[in-house]
Amino acid sequence: MTFFSRFSLTLLALWSALAAASSDYHERLFLHPLPQSSLLASFNFRSNTSQQSFDNQHFRYFPRALGQILQHAHTKELHLRFTTGRWDAESWGPRPWNGSKEGGTGVELWAWIDASGDEEAFAKWITLTQSLSGLFCASLNFIDSTRTTRPVVSFEPAGDHPPTDGLHLLHGTLPGEVVCTENLTPFLKLLPCKGKAGVSTLFDGHKLFDAAWQSMSVDVRPLCPPEGECVVQIEQTVDMVLDIERSKRPRDNPIPRPVPNDQLVCDTSKPYNSDDTCYPLETTTEKGWSLSEVFGRKLNGVCPLTDSKDPNESTVCLRVPHDRGVFTSEGTLETKQADGFTRCFTLKASEPFDLVIPEQPVTSEVPLEEPILNAERTIVGHGAERGGMRIIFGNPSDTSDVDFIFFETLPWFLRPYIHTLRATITGRDGVRREIPVSEIVKETFYRPAIDRERGTQLELVMSVPAASIVTLTYDFEKAILRYTEYPPDANRGFNVAPAVIRILDSPHTRDTAQNAPVFIRSTSLLLPLPTPDFSMPYNVIILTSTVIALGFGTIFNILVRRVVSADEAAALGAQTLKARILGRLVAIRDKLGGKGTKVE
Amino acid sequence: MLAKIRDLRNNPHLLFVRLPNLLSLTCIVVGVVWLLLLPLNEYSRQTYISENALLPGQVHAYFSGSEQNVFRGYKKELEGLLNEGRDQGVPPAEAGQTPAVSSKIQSILQAAGLKVATQKYEYTSAGITHEGENVYAIIHAPRGDATEAIVLVAAWKTANNELNLNGVTLALTLARYFKRWSLWSKDIIFVITPDSKSGTQAWIDAYHDMHPASVQPLPLKSGALQGALVIEYPFDHRFQSLHVVYDGVNGQLPNLDLFNTAVAIANNQMGIGSNLQEMWEHDDSYQARLQTILRGMAKQGLGYATGAHSSFMPYHIDAITLQPKGEGWEDEMALGRTIESICRSLNNLLEHLHQSFFFYLLMQSNRFVSIGTYLPSAMLLAGNFTIMAIALWMRTGYYTGTSSTAPAIAGDKKEKPSSKKVTSGKPVADVKLKESGVAERQLALPLTLVVGLHLLGLIPLWLFNTLPHQYLPTSAYAFVIVDIVLPLVLAALLSHGLGLSAPIIPQQYHLIKSFSLLLLGLSLSTLATLNFSLSFMVGLLCAPLSFIERLQSPSKPVRSTISGIGFLCLNLLSPPSALLGVCWYTGVSVETVLTQAAFGWDVWGVWTQVVVWCVWWPAWLIGCVLLGASMF
Repeated sequence: MTFFSRFSLTLLALWSALAAASSDYHERLFLHPLPQSSLLASFNFRSNTSQQSFDNQHFRYFPRALGQILQHAHTKELHLRFTTGRWDAESWGPRPWNGSKEGGTGVELWAWIDASGDEEAFAKWITLTQSLSGLFCASLNFIDSTRTTRPVVSFEPAGDHPPTDGLHLLHGTLPGEVVCTENLTPFLKLLPCKGKAGVSTLFDGHKLFDAAWQSMSVDVRPLCPPEGECVVQIEQTVDMVLDIERSKRPRDNPIPRPVPNDQLVCDTSKPYNSDDTCYPLETTTEKGWSLSEVFGRKLNGVCPLTDSKDPNESTVCLRVPHDRGVFTSEGTLETKQADGFTRCFTLKASEPFDLVIPEQPVTSEVPLEEPILNAERTIVGHGAERGGMRIIFGNPSDTSDVDFIFFETLPWFLRPYIHTLRATITGRDGVRREIPVSEIVKETFYRPAIDRERGTQLELVMSVPAASIVTLTYDFEKAILRYTEYPPDANRGFNVAPAVIRILDSPHTRDTAQNAPVFIRSTSLLLPLPTPDFSMPYNVIILTSTVIALGFGTIFNILVRRVVSADEAAALGAQTLKARILGRLVAIRDKLGGKGTKVE
Repeated sequence: MLAKIRDLRNNPHLLFVRLPNLLSLTCIVVGVVWLLLLPLNEYSRQTYISENALLPGQVHAYFSGSEQNVFRGYKKELEGLLNEGRDQGVPPAEAGQTPAVSSKIQSILQAAGLKVATQKYEYTSAGITHEGENVYAIIHAPRGDATEAIVLVAAWKTANNELNLNGVTLALTLARYFKRWSLWSKDIIFVITPDSKSGTQAWIDAYHDMHPASVQPLPLKSGALQGALVIEYPFDHRFQSLHVVYDGVNGQLPNLDLFNTAVAIANNQMGIGSNLQEMWEHDDSYQARLQTILRGMAKQGLGYATGAHSSFMPYHIDAITLQPKGEGWEDEMALGRTIESICRSLNNLLEHLHQSFFFYLLMQSNRFVSIGTYLPSAMLLAGNFTIMAIALWMRTGYYTGTSSTAPAIAGDKKEKPSSKKVTSGKPVADVKLKESGVAERQLALPLTLVVGLHLLGLIPLWLFNTLPHQYLPTSAYAFVIVDIVLPLVLAALLSHGLGLSAPIIPQQYHLIKSFSLLLLGLSLSTLATLNFSLSFMVGLLCAPLSFIERLQSPSKPVRSTISGIGFLCLNLLSPPSALLGVCWYTGVSVETVLTQAAFGWDVWGVWTQVVVWCVWWPAWLIGCVLLGASMF
């Protein structure tokens, strides 16, 4: 058990203790400087409302817009994720919240819907995605049947549901969705203080979406404590990893120009070191930063809606060694926790709060835990017809096996050959051995794709032995799409949704009653499909259209045209009786007198 | 007039012998002339950027100032290690491969904040082992998701086997500099390989999981590769212009947009001149343009890797090498800014490069001809064989040939039947037609022979790709002898009957030639769409084969003399003699060429040898057999 996870778990435990209150609101910001001058900022907002007032549409902290959507779509539990970038587990350690509050790249949505049958559930699911699409300004409406799956074992409800409910789990992803400020604004509007006060004032679209990795989540779940009434809980989280150096660049001069010669930090011990020759030196000092530098503004007090039964409830926590110098705004109460790395601050209401960490030589570092499992998924092979998927699972632990569920959704135009599923195992000795898949895979849940209707769904319950790397490979075939099915940027390739890995029975989940499972998501993939030269069909279409327009048009024109004299045409074209008679008259008059004028 | 036309139509000799010969000759002449017309302004086009997303040269390149100090620092550091290695007796060629250098590169890249990994590889070809260790590092695109990547390669040994110290240093400096930028939408991978021949091949194979067992898999990967740039800077002085190398393995070319981007950025944004195909003095004259095209065609036709970038092409990754050339006033920072600007352009790409041409011949850095314009020339050359083959097939069916009346068709087709003979041929032909009508074709022997000889080509293919390098020149000379003896033996066997059935009849000679040319025409026209230059070259070398057949008419001594001379001339055009001739002309040793070819076959997957031994050589052999048969 390591510090970081204990840190997350203490927070989880703290949160769960507060969860029981029937109607309340809490918010919190965790700051954790990571190696390589990164800063993890984790914002959390949580409010409860009693089930009864939720059903009666008495919303206080719970956002009405979302609540009505959930009621309309009979959604009992909802999880929505917006993520960009990738979590660099090698440098940053385990994921915040053990990965349970992040999604794959793009948008991920899963929900438990109360319905009497699969079809009804799907209809409600479509209602839900369409409504959320409008609410969050995201293309969630593109989650159609081909992108919807029904995972069997990968997800478990996080809330307490009455056993009678006919709950259906539906899951959809949009790996290509670009998360940006238009998704942040509606997200902020769901908060009681709407970004005007409290920790949410730090949200600046420019900084948030400049982060190296960023994840926004919305979770709604019913909770029924053993005593007391059931509550509906909404929890919103924003996690981001900022590059401190980049965030500190002034807004008006964001270009990382080469530093002036005299500011270059050189290794002066090198014999060749001179005015024009410099071997750059690693800085041994930890970068200094402050909230206002990194986020571009100060934290604006406390959200007055926060229910504080405890007047000393701390809203900002920082995870640096206790001997690290930290300066805060006046009137802030600092509490250091026993683990030696965490300190929390109780802010004064309606006073701007800033936190300054000066540059300081590194003396002690917050230890980073090794991730439980490393996973990498890539597409291998080349050519337009076939390819292969390679998934590598590395278990860094020397002692314990890792059991987990591997869940992937494949688009229908990627046709996997499950019979080609092979596994190799590499131990610490580096020798690669092929082993039967059944040795690694305990259970398989497989739902094959139907062209243009649904994608492949594959869930594998697996176990990777200690100190070994398991490689799973399978071959696939690329389908040829109809030419109208290609997107405008067909040559970019097609996004394949990230795989979701849920660690089962890990020491982390074992220790807590909290059901906060450990999740890992792989990066999304780009699948190049055989793409026609689109200019060619369009050229042909344009050419044939031109030929038809010219050739057919002229000939048709000649064939159906009646050649009449101008005055007759007026008569023919006239609709009313009067006009016709007039036309006739004109024709007769011209017949009588027309010759004369022509001769003239 | 009408009667004359009717006479012509009724003249089977004209229809089956003269007309095809004429048509074939016309095809060849037009094909060659077509190629010679390409450099003219009317047939070539100005290059242009087709992919609008590239926006070459639209950004300011900031790589300058104190980055040069860092460059010098890295260079001194590496130089020190190289000198240490030299003192310890490491040969200069292996200078970049010492563990000290490798670990220094890794530590520099790590210090710059990149993810670093290494890959060991080993290839054995023609009894020579090529091994080394690639060091590569990835800049993760901020906010990126490892879906796309750009590759920057610097090899310790350039394509010309020079020590590329400045190039490697520049790559390291750029890695440190690029890491600071947050605008990258794609990962950037820096690959430092020991040499330009095998290192990138091992890396790119392993990246796609297509590597042989002797190559380690890659521990670290990114997404789909969108483009690759190879940096070379093997000298210490300042340079004048940039030489852009673009030829890939098997004549595959990168998308023209990539080349255009590099040229546009070098010429317009940086003010550096650009060269291609080693044309240092290009005055844009017809000769210079033609020479550039021909040099490009020679490289494309031979299909070998011209640099570290060539290995990327089979995986549909567009790549070029930038080589600074000449003495001028551009320094490494100018090269660095050029690379920065090209990377920024590639970074802009929303889709894989696909807009512009993949098949083109460049004649100047800003002029090219596209496939639609140049393809007919190789197709005409290939078509001449097909025309001949079809004519022979018809001739064997309808017109039994005339031992008495039809004039012999000699090897080079100099002697043409006089017009008198044509007119006088009419009554004879009428008689003949009445006599024979439709002839039955005896297919068994010709088919067996043609198929057998094509399969026989697998033997030299196997031999030349497996023999150890020291035996390769000897076997090439031995093959010259084999090429003289084998056709004569076959011809003697054919003419005197194989002891199997009836002795061979003239019709079967025609059928042998027909099948051989049919296969040749088929292969070459298919090849023309894949590798235009190779098809054109083989087509040109095989052109005499259309007009060779077994001589029949003159008396034996005359026949023997003519066919003997023809046989000798034809032997000068055989694959091994052509190889020896080219080696003698260019002054490269035969062993080097053959070792390189074997290396290409084993490592790069070059299939020029297949075309030579299974298309060209069998066709040539059959031509020789037909000519040799006249002697018996």
